[in-house]
Amino acid sequence: MLTVKNLHASINGKEILKGVDLEVHAGEVHAIMGPNGSGKSTFASVLAGNGVYEVTEGEMAFEGENLLDMAPEERAWMGLFLSFQYPMEIPGVSMVNFMRTAVNEHRKYKGQEPIPADEFLALMREKEALIGMDKEMMRRSVNDGFSGGEKKRNEIFQMAILEPRLSILDETDSGLDIDALRIVASGLNKLKRPGNATVLITHYQRLLNYVKPDIVHVMYDGQIVRSGGAELALELEEKGYDWLK
Amino acid sequence: MIGDKCGAHTFPYMDIDNNSAMLEHEATTSKINEDQLFYCNQRGIPTEEAIGLIVNGYAKEVLNKLPMEFAVEAKKLLEISLEGSVG
Repeated sequence: MLTVKNLHASINGKEILKGVDLEVHAGEVHAIMGPNGSGKSTFASVLAGNGVYEVTEGEMAFEGENLLDMAPEERAWMGLFLSFQYPMEIPGVSMVNFMRTAVNEHRKYKGQEPIPADEFLALMREKEALIGMDKEMMRRSVNDGFSGGEKKRNEIFQMAILEPRLSILDETDSGLDIDALRIVASGLNKLKRPGNATVLITHYQRLLNYVKPDIVHVMYDGQIVRSGGAELALELEEKGYDWLK
Repeated sequence: MIGDKCGAHTFPYMDIDNNSAMLEHEATTSKINEDQLFYCNQRGIPTEEAIGLIVNGYAKEVLNKLPMEFAVEAKKLLEISLEGSVG
């Protein structure tokens, strides 16, 4: 589904990704762990197409298509979703309006008509119940006044609505207490399908107790230096990151 | 203006030339920043549509107080003035 080969990327002339290789297949859950500054979030941003980063070398392909040719919204239409580490606040734009616009843009890409109002409302209610979102929050502006935990849960809610093929979750667990973590993990587990894949970027092993990864990678200084099964995460928890150097 | 048949109607008009526009609302001043636009892009909303969404959000409160015909007209004018403003 996703193939990344020797990816190099820089910001303001400073190289952050120094040759990242990764392959993700449908149905898999991957975890990418690593110390601060290893390039984990940069990797997520580059995959999603954030223009502040410049790809200087390497390849990225999603479902066989070259991502480097594609604008962020095109990548989204193809089914790539990024759960942000720091979700944006958009004052004045309600969640309902935001989601309906997003859904309709996806439908436009697929040559479908805009979603009828009653169908959209039913969709919102269904996903609100699935993820445990408060109906009241949907009338508020996007992430405006949301707590850290609510913002992260809102990312998972949007993921539920858009039903992506590949979800990249950038430190979804950071800043969450154990209850919020359980809620987010529960949502993620409910959204797992044989046809989709998930990449969890996380600093701590904690989330992986609730969302079991098939493959764990360790990122260090801009590269994935080690890959293994779920037990690698436990080894990191025990030993820290120093032994990798 | 004198008399109960007079009224003053102000029409918010904003000329937006670039996608880092400063928007002023009666109570708040905010900037559409690149991060917000990227967030919208990542949800599948292209930049021009995203700017429309965000600007409409700000103008909505004022538009809601205008008589219906004006509100519809104002919304259309906002869309037209934004069209092609993203370079």
